[in-house]
Amino acid sequence: MLGWLDHLILVPVLLPLLAGAVLIPINETHHRLKFAINAMSVLGLLVTALVLVQLTDGGHWSEDIGVYLAANWLAPFGIVLLVDRLAAMMLLLAAVIATATLLYSMVRWSRIGVHFHSLFQFLLMGVNGAFLTHDLFNLFVFFEVMLAASYGLLLHGYNVNRIRAGLQYIAVNLVASLVFLIGVALIYAATGTLNMSDLAARVATLGAEDLALLKIGMAVLVIAFLVKGAMWPLGFWLPTAYASASPPVAAMLVLMTKVGVYVIMRVWLLVFSDGGGEATGFGREFLLWGGLATVAFGAVGMLASQEQGRLAGYAAIVSSGTLLAVVGYGQASLITAGLFYLLSSTLAVAAFMLLIELVDRVRSPAAAMLAVTMEAFEFEENPAQPVGKGIPAALAFLGLSFAASTLIIAGLPPLSGFVAKFGLFHALLHPQAGGAVAAPAWTFMALVLVSGLIAIIAMMRFGVRTFWASGAVAPPRLQFMEAAPVTLLLFLCVALTVQAGPIFGFLERTSADLHQRAQYVDRVLSSPAVSAGAGEAER
Amino acid sequence: MNLVIALAIGVLFGSGIWLVLRPRTFQVIIGLLLMSYAVNLFIFIMGRLMVDRPPLTLGDGLPDPTALTDPLPQALVLTAIVIGFATTALYLVMMIGSRGVTGTDHVDGRESEE
Amino acid sequence: MTLLSLILIPFIGSVLAAFLPLRGREAWLAGGVALYGLIATIYLYLGAGNGGVVRYEAEWLPQLGLDFVLRMDGLAWLFAVLVQGIGVLVVLYARYYMSPKDPVPRFFSFLLAFMGSMLGVVLSGNLIQLVVFWELTSLTSFLLIGYWHHRIDARRGARMALTVTAAGGLCLLAGVLILGSIVGSYDLDAVLAAGNQVRAHHAYLPALILIALGALTKSAQFPFHFWLPHAMAAPTPVSAYLHSATMVKAGVFLLIRLWPVLSGTPEWHWIIGGAGVITLLIGSFNAIFQADIKGLLAYSTISHLGIITALLGIGTPLAVVAAIFHVLNHATFKASLFMAAGIVDHETGTRDMRVLRGLYRVLPITGTLAIVASAAMAGVPLLNGFISKEMFFAETLGVGGPDEWWMSTAAVAMGMFSVAYALRFIGIFLGRLPEDLPKQPHEPPRWMRFPVEVLVLLCLVVGVLPGRSVGPFLSDAVVSVLGEATPDYNLAVWHGFNMPLLMSMVALLGGVVLYSLLQLRFDLRNRSGVPVRFELNGGHIYDSIMLRMSTGAGALMRHIGTQRLQPQLLLIIVMMMALPVALVRPLPGLDAIRLTDVDLSLAALWLIGGGCAIAAAWQAKYHRLAALMLVGGTGIITSMTFLWLSAPDLALTQLMVETVTTVLILLGLRWLPPRIALEDMQARVSRRVRLRRGRDLMVALAGGAAMAAISFVVLSGTPPERIGDFFVLHALSEGGGSNVVNVLLVDFRGFDTFGEITVLSIVALTVYALLRRFRPAPESIEIPVQRSNGIDPAVKQTPTEQAEHGYLMVPGVYVRFLLPFIVLVAVYFFMRGHNLPGGGFVAGLIFAVAFIVQYMVAGTAWVESHLRLRPHKWMAWGLITTALTGIGAWLFGHPFLTSHTAHLHLPLLGDLHLPSAFFFDLGVFMVVVGATMLILVALAHQSIRSHRQLPGDGRLAPERDIR
Repeated sequence: MLGWLDHLILVPVLLPLLAGAVLIPINETHHRLKFAINAMSVLGLLVTALVLVQLTDGGHWSEDIGVYLAANWLAPFGIVLLVDRLAAMMLLLAAVIATATLLYSMVRWSRIGVHFHSLFQFLLMGVNGAFLTHDLFNLFVFFEVMLAASYGLLLHGYNVNRIRAGLQYIAVNLVASLVFLIGVALIYAATGTLNMSDLAARVATLGAEDLALLKIGMAVLVIAFLVKGAMWPLGFWLPTAYASASPPVAAMLVLMTKVGVYVIMRVWLLVFSDGGGEATGFGREFLLWGGLATVAFGAVGMLASQEQGRLAGYAAIVSSGTLLAVVGYGQASLITAGLFYLLSSTLAVAAFMLLIELVDRVRSPAAAMLAVTMEAFEFEENPAQPVGKGIPAALAFLGLSFAASTLIIAGLPPLSGFVAKFGLFHALLHPQAGGAVAAPAWTFMALVLVSGLIAIIAMMRFGVRTFWASGAVAPPRLQFMEAAPVTLLLFLCVALTVQAGPIFGFLERTSADLHQRAQYVDRVLSSPAVSAGAGEAER
Repeated sequence: MNLVIALAIGVLFGSGIWLVLRPRTFQVIIGLLLMSYAVNLFIFIMGRLMVDRPPLTLGDGLPDPTALTDPLPQALVLTAIVIGFATTALYLVMMIGSRGVTGTDHVDGRESEE
Repeated sequence: MTLLSLILIPFIGSVLAAFLPLRGREAWLAGGVALYGLIATIYLYLGAGNGGVVRYEAEWLPQLGLDFVLRMDGLAWLFAVLVQGIGVLVVLYARYYMSPKDPVPRFFSFLLAFMGSMLGVVLSGNLIQLVVFWELTSLTSFLLIGYWHHRIDARRGARMALTVTAAGGLCLLAGVLILGSIVGSYDLDAVLAAGNQVRAHHAYLPALILIALGALTKSAQFPFHFWLPHAMAAPTPVSAYLHSATMVKAGVFLLIRLWPVLSGTPEWHWIIGGAGVITLLIGSFNAIFQADIKGLLAYSTISHLGIITALLGIGTPLAVVAAIFHVLNHATFKASLFMAAGIVDHETGTRDMRVLRGLYRVLPITGTLAIVASAAMAGVPLLNGFISKEMFFAETLGVGGPDEWWMSTAAVAMGMFSVAYALRFIGIFLGRLPEDLPKQPHEPPRWMRFPVEVLVLLCLVVGVLPGRSVGPFLSDAVVSVLGEATPDYNLAVWHGFNMPLLMSMVALLGGVVLYSLLQLRFDLRNRSGVPVRFELNGGHIYDSIMLRMSTGAGALMRHIGTQRLQPQLLLIIVMMMALPVALVRPLPGLDAIRLTDVDLSLAALWLIGGGCAIAAAWQAKYHRLAALMLVGGTGIITSMTFLWLSAPDLALTQLMVETVTTVLILLGLRWLPPRIALEDMQARVSRRVRLRRGRDLMVALAGGAAMAAISFVVLSGTPPERIGDFFVLHALSEGGGSNVVNVLLVDFRGFDTFGEITVLSIVALTVYALLRRFRPAPESIEIPVQRSNGIDPAVKQTPTEQAEHGYLMVPGVYVRFLLPFIVLVAVYFFMRGHNLPGGGFVAGLIFAVAFIVQYMVAGTAWVESHLRLRPHKWMAWGLITTALTGIGAWLFGHPFLTSHTAHLHLPLLGDLHLPSAFFFDLGVFMVVVGATMLILVALAHQSIRSHRQLPGDGRLAPERDIR
């Protein structure tokens, strides 16, 4: 028998599905009800994620890895869901960003157009599934869930730009999905399995021919991931999509970009870490240099971008480039710092995404109303009026949050962005293997520093233009429910900074796990199915 | 037989690529259809080819796996077909929607300047 | 704890000043904070004086060897006193200087924040933490400089200052990181102890250069000096604070702090000393020709910082003593001068020295103070500036032995220049008062002048009795830097007749001569800007660099990025082929292709299939319908292949999907723009287009070939030991179904199916949401020609009429009869699914088709007036059913989706095996029906609504909701 706690592993997928399904037939006129259901589910996800973090970090499962055999079939035959510290952390991150986004969307965005709430829930289901699943093809399925929902959400608040961006985004991702399938197929052909741990177990013993096939398969597969993770030159879709999506959706997109990186981290560290026989370290160089190229590209983009949405897009590109390089560099302590960087940058860019629309109101105080009427003009039958009351000192609030997110994105002191950057540099300058600092490390440091400087210059340009040069007379109209989520996200970044010690401890344990392939293989392949219990009919 | 299937996949995929790289949405959607045929076949043949050995264990007694073709790729292809169907429908609607709003059927939603 | 409060209280105060409604009492708050700090610091002298060290530690990030450490020794103490003492005076001064119209709370809030960060820099016991506060000073000073942000010069100055100093800060970060990795710790004590180790290390030079970059940018040393004059756009109290005692002193502080570690090498000597000497010359020379008082003071600040830097570069212990001493002296007289300048500005309304004359008559006291202070600046005896400058002269003599005299010459030249600009400043008080001043000046309020008085008094005291006044504190600071290397020195005014004294005299006299020469020859008084254009204008360079960067970035993006779709798809496909070739060694080889195993009938089949595909590719642009049919052909062939190769389920599904997709696209075709091939089209395509097509063709061929090759490799290889067999073995025994594929879908890999139907529903919802807003292009709204010619009677009928009694009556009736049969077939396929080919998905599609044909023949209106389909509900309930079926297993203590079989004994049906998979499949069925219907119906509705389109606006006539 398995305890109820084990079922928690499934909740992040199941809860959004049920919520989304229940939301479908409810008419849009009951938007309060719909919002309530959505919020309930997101809250549930938040609690679940917190508990899972506790469980994985609290020694509830052996090796701190929770395994769930869907349909009660032994690995590698059935589909396995696996939660370890990393997965739990990502679930938590997703839940947090979802909470903020949902609150933000309450004022206006969730009322424009239909089925926002269902799609939102399904998106969460896809993201969480991608975090949890331990089966390559099932990963494909959840990617599709996530993407399909994101297509819908990207087009939410239908206007010309969104249609254009959507057309591009969808086409790119459809092709990427086909690539994904080819990769998975090749991997199955080479190894005869789809379970990641089983793959890790088999990779060492493969024949030359099959190994070659596996590598080809992986090389193809990683392209699908890199399109999501927006590595140069596969990520050109990203700034356009970010710039044209509605703010809440853009914030969720920030999260989705990290899913691609997460999956690469998961698969690469599991299959190609030490002990992988011939295949050890496969493709690391490519990831490293590709990541660095991406950082450079993102930095140039930031400098060139004339509108804040694109700027934020390029900031996201820089951060995922950094993470790819971290994975490619292949050093446990660097992964630790990289994970901290992931948390900090994701929160900050998401906050910035939500902030942009509010900041634009400073430029033209009417913008708040303008946005609504524009939506209305774009084929909207009933333009929703903003609810809630305006908050005092709106301008000060906007200035502060803009500055804060700038500091984090640029990695300037004293906020979490700096801690993350310092962690990266510290790891780079203290190679675990000992010996001198490798040449790529210097390139890495230089690129990150320069990109940080460029981020300052670019964002200062926007800040000065908006808050100082605009000569904003009337303070912008700002709803409390719009300010709260931004505050929440930025506050979390501050918490990351203050609590850096404990959090780094957790992340160190996390990256230590990731480098123990044997314990994953052992846990997954040896976890037993539930035997035929008493109150059950024959199978 | 192997050769024929391999060539078939090649031809489908190739024509798919050609269409996907074209500037008109309709060409792209047709290209996506062809490519997904190719990919479905590709996944399917990962279980190697067997004629007249459907994975149906109708007879009594323990079935002999070697006598039947590998069912797993088939299951994967089924899922892939369904998802492909869904996404094709979506792209179709995007296609006409974009045509309606932007007035062109170019993949970028605007005629390219060149 | 007191130490911690020194840092914390300013920041707390800053927050309070910003958010408490103090209504003009912010000044008191700020003053109180600064005063507390000063007193606390003085109290801390008990610990930090006489070579002692006060520490405060708190654990922060032990994993990375990073803790929050505050550390106060003699040097830190001296700087802390400086920062807070001048802070008190500046606050008092600003209280009267700032006009009530300015947003004062913000001002004091920023000022306190800056003070806090400056103290942080001074008191940090940890290099990384020092960098943190360092950057904070850059940020807060950015806010202070840009305080009057409605003025463009303020914005420009602020941005320039931040860009330069932040860039320097990043270099500094890199530098201290390297330093830390050399020493193995970021703790200041550890680093200070490891001087020899550092200087011996091969990474010493990069570390030195990076740290020097940090310090020189901050202290406005050549070639980064240009930002400081622009920063003069700040309110005068800010200038008085930032550019006398604090901000710019941070750089030299860092150099003094790390002096024991980094100094003593030729590299240090040349980098730091060189920068210092160049800077002091450029600064003092430019200062002479400034028309703006603050401009003059700014350049003089630059040159005095140059003196300090040069002294540190010289590197003898005595030079360090002189440097620290001069830091103090410069702070006192420069702060007082800035304040005096502010008073002049405040009273007369201008700072232009070409206008200002004879102010002594109206501002006697301020005038006296200013004259004394500028005398100190010029290094007149019996004033503090004199002593430290003489020490500087003495040190320059020692550099590189007696035969090297370039540095002494530079020093003397600097001395002359500073005398000259001091005279020019004094000049504004002499002569007769012009009438055309913007304001009629008179002495400022008592307390506004008070700070100046205090500072000038200090100048005098230190100048007369150096040893008694600052002696002990100075020696503490020196000891904390030099340790046992501390030289014995005496701070006396009179050292007897010696070389330095001579140099001072030469400088003084030379300065006077130079000034009067310039006065006669160049009419200096009415001049602004340097006569000789040798100096490169940093400001302009900065601007052009910034401009070039953004424009260049834009240009670069056009080459390394794109916003068009086609290049992106091309890249994905090319990468997909290139990456394996690049990464995989060795690539698998193709074994010999034997034509014997070619199965002719299959080959024939694919001759058609492939032909269809290629033809479709050929025709897709101009003959959409044809292309669609051809693709359909390929689809049929594919499904036949599945059937042939023992995959009946696939064949079935492929066939149904094929049908529905074709119908979908047919419905969509109507909204696409007409495209007719022109006869001479081939002639018109440009060469460029031909090239692109050629490239795409190559890629397509390569891609096809690659896929074919890899497929062939897989097929001719031997399959590995695979997990597939397991399913065949356990499907019937444990999955309870003999159709292994279906058991896989609903049981073994039910979780996939679960996600798959979700995708289906999501897409349906998206399509629905999208089409609710659908707006057809104008030209595709009106009825197409085919349907509007007069001959055809059907044209005059609505679709409903056509189906009721028009030409569609017979087929209408026929499909209506057909409905139950198709439903029956659907049920049949559904029921047998678990054991034979079929299943929920196929059944769902068949069921959907049953309704599609109704729509096609009888038209939307008729169908929906006769049967109410609720696609949303179908989908919702389908999803819920599957989910609940899965959860059901929990009741038996089994994981999600575990299948169970219930045995029911029903009348007339007898024993009934009811596997839970049945319900799961039922859910799938419902979702498929719902989703397919929703998509098709939503599409079908467009043809109704578009005709109801009101001409002109894009708003839609209200449409019947499909729910």
